[in-house]
Amino acid sequence: MVTLNAYLLVSGLLFAIGFAGVLLRRNIIIIFMCLELMLSASNLSLVAFSRFNTVNGLPNYNGQILVFFIIAVAAAEVAVGLAIIVALFRARRTTHVEDMNSMKG
Amino acid sequence: MGNFLEAPYLLEAVVVVLGLALLMLEAFLPKADKRLVAYIALFGLAGVLVASFNMKAPENLEHSFWSFYATDNLAFFYKNIAVLATMLVIVMAIEYTPVLEKYVSQGSKQGGLGEFFCLPVFVCAGLMWMASAKEFITIFVSLETVTISFYVLVAYMRRNVGSLEAGVKYLILGALSTGFFVYGVTWVFGLTGETHLEKIGIALQGLEGSDSAVLFAFTLILVGLGFKVAAVPFHVWVPDVYQGAPTPVTAFLSVGSKAAGFIVATRILQPFLEMERLHSSFTTILVIVTGATILFGNFAAIPQTNFKRLLAYSSISHAGFLLLALTCTPDQFQLTPGQVVAFYLATYLLMTMLCFLVLTIVRRSTESDEIAAFSGLHRRSPFLAFALLIGVISLAGVPLTAGFLGKFFVFTLAIDSGRWILLAFAVVGAASGFYYYLKVARAMYWEEPTELAAIEISPLARLALLLLIIATIVFGVYPAPILGLLTN
Amino acid sequence: MLETYLPILMQLGVACGFAVSTLIVSVLLGKSGKTNPVKDSAYECGMLPIGEAQPRFSVKFYLVAMLFVLFDIEVVFMYPWAVVFKDLLVTSLLPVTLGMAGFVFILFIAYLYVLKKGALQWRD
Repeated sequence: MVTLNAYLLVSGLLFAIGFAGVLLRRNIIIIFMCLELMLSASNLSLVAFSRFNTVNGLPNYNGQILVFFIIAVAAAEVAVGLAIIVALFRARRTTHVEDMNSMKG
Repeated sequence: MGNFLEAPYLLEAVVVVLGLALLMLEAFLPKADKRLVAYIALFGLAGVLVASFNMKAPENLEHSFWSFYATDNLAFFYKNIAVLATMLVIVMAIEYTPVLEKYVSQGSKQGGLGEFFCLPVFVCAGLMWMASAKEFITIFVSLETVTISFYVLVAYMRRNVGSLEAGVKYLILGALSTGFFVYGVTWVFGLTGETHLEKIGIALQGLEGSDSAVLFAFTLILVGLGFKVAAVPFHVWVPDVYQGAPTPVTAFLSVGSKAAGFIVATRILQPFLEMERLHSSFTTILVIVTGATILFGNFAAIPQTNFKRLLAYSSISHAGFLLLALTCTPDQFQLTPGQVVAFYLATYLLMTMLCFLVLTIVRRSTESDEIAAFSGLHRRSPFLAFALLIGVISLAGVPLTAGFLGKFFVFTLAIDSGRWILLAFAVVGAASGFYYYLKVARAMYWEEPTELAAIEISPLARLALLLLIIATIVFGVYPAPILGLLTN
Repeated sequence: MLETYLPILMQLGVACGFAVSTLIVSVLLGKSGKTNPVKDSAYECGMLPIGEAQPRFSVKFYLVAMLFVLFDIEVVFMYPWAVVFKDLLVTSLLPVTLGMAGFVFILFIAYLYVLKKGALQWRD
């Protein structure tokens, strides 16, 4: 039997890996993937909470509905985000954060 | 659900349908003048604004639908702010068309401009829904509707490197804040098993132990919201994004995104702050963020030479004043923190839109956002100079302007709840505000213009400016109409 | 129970060890030949290397893929609706059917927009 704590641990690790990736990586595409990882971490723990915190013997479906919305929103975010990154690549020929320096102040 | 046709959610539905209709118009009439889309959007939103004043909260709130849709005064007030801000942004966007055409169309006349007028309508729908959302799923979805539309709008000028860079920065940090917010919501759901804010409040009261988990969730949510309202230390995106984004979008971000963040903050913080056991810990975190925001926003604004960046830091500092109101627990003052925040945001809407509208018009004739571009503006266009003067003195908080009353209420609230240290910070911040805002006034009135050609203003923009000037002064002397909407 | 997997682990170890050791041995024992531009160029009927190693995808491919993902994801909302559809049909027919009709209508508008803008056309 896998316990709730195990799920939360994995989800916490995913979140931490995602956040570390956002802070440390220099390629915008990879940073973006790490951001999606953070959302997946939330999804995992939401489903786990929903499954273990039962209401009248049934899973708490509110959490699972939220998961659906997070998945849909993440897809929209990826579509828009990749479009912006592709447009930036065509204008600057780079996807590295160090090159994002046209504004200063 | 009571009567279908009188329910307040119809306002949002109408705005969404308006947006869809505009999109279809844009797609099926590719040859038409794109400004037609803008004018229709403007009229449609004006209709919604009028209708919203006639809309009443339903009396029978038994249906479960109303448990996640608020119909209080605050909700209606924020809906009005959203519609008004969107209308002003569309007016600004019409003025901005030549600049957009240069960076978007490339050859074809007005190619790809239609969506720039459709997207604000969808943002407006998101903002309006958020004003009524009191449940985490609806809050999340409306917040993301707004944020994702803003990603597109910020990066809209796809042949301008500044706009694209701003877009990528906003995208990464916006998505990061979403990640934090969602993870915080997850933990709240795990602790309480609820997504309704009211039920969360009750569940939190009865929670035994697991204080650290509640604090963890609270901090995560606060980080997420901090990004949206531009609170220090989550403000890093603000100056660059404000500078790079098309000016109408900057204005929208400054007002719309902030209003969205604060209505959500007002509603979300309430169940947490009501939790007696951890009340002091929550307030301490809030107070630290507030103090940092007020000080940093005001001091970092002082050396700025670019007007858009100056307004960015000014936006951070105003976020500080607004947060200060949220940390308060009033003793005798007749307005609640939520009402003071709403009032402040209404005045902030007027004066910020005034500044950005002038900036848009001046930008078109000078191709520059620097403060130096405003040198001798009163010789080139006395009306524009006067409008901007009213805007900046109201932002600074000079008495007899709307901005003064906003600050006055916040300060009274702070005195009433004894937040003396923050009050001292706020006074220092407001004082330094006088310096950097009046720098713009000095450039306009005491410096020699680099060129003397008069700046032409379209009738629509002139009307909008005139209304904003009148409103800024009138509400600075006679705020009763706004307060009436809030307290009723 | 886990000890039954021991042979597999050993096999993995041997396989990896063999691969690594042959690589090391070849570096240690082998002599690398001298190279010059003439020697590196294509010989007689060989193809001259032109362009980048990775072929570039057309932006069209990205556009269609992204649109597919977006419309595909929306179906996720139909599952919970379909599950409760029969039960809710008895009590609240109108909101249940109108709700999904509205959702599909918005998707349809989006589809019309995509179609009209020519995002699904492969040829220019």
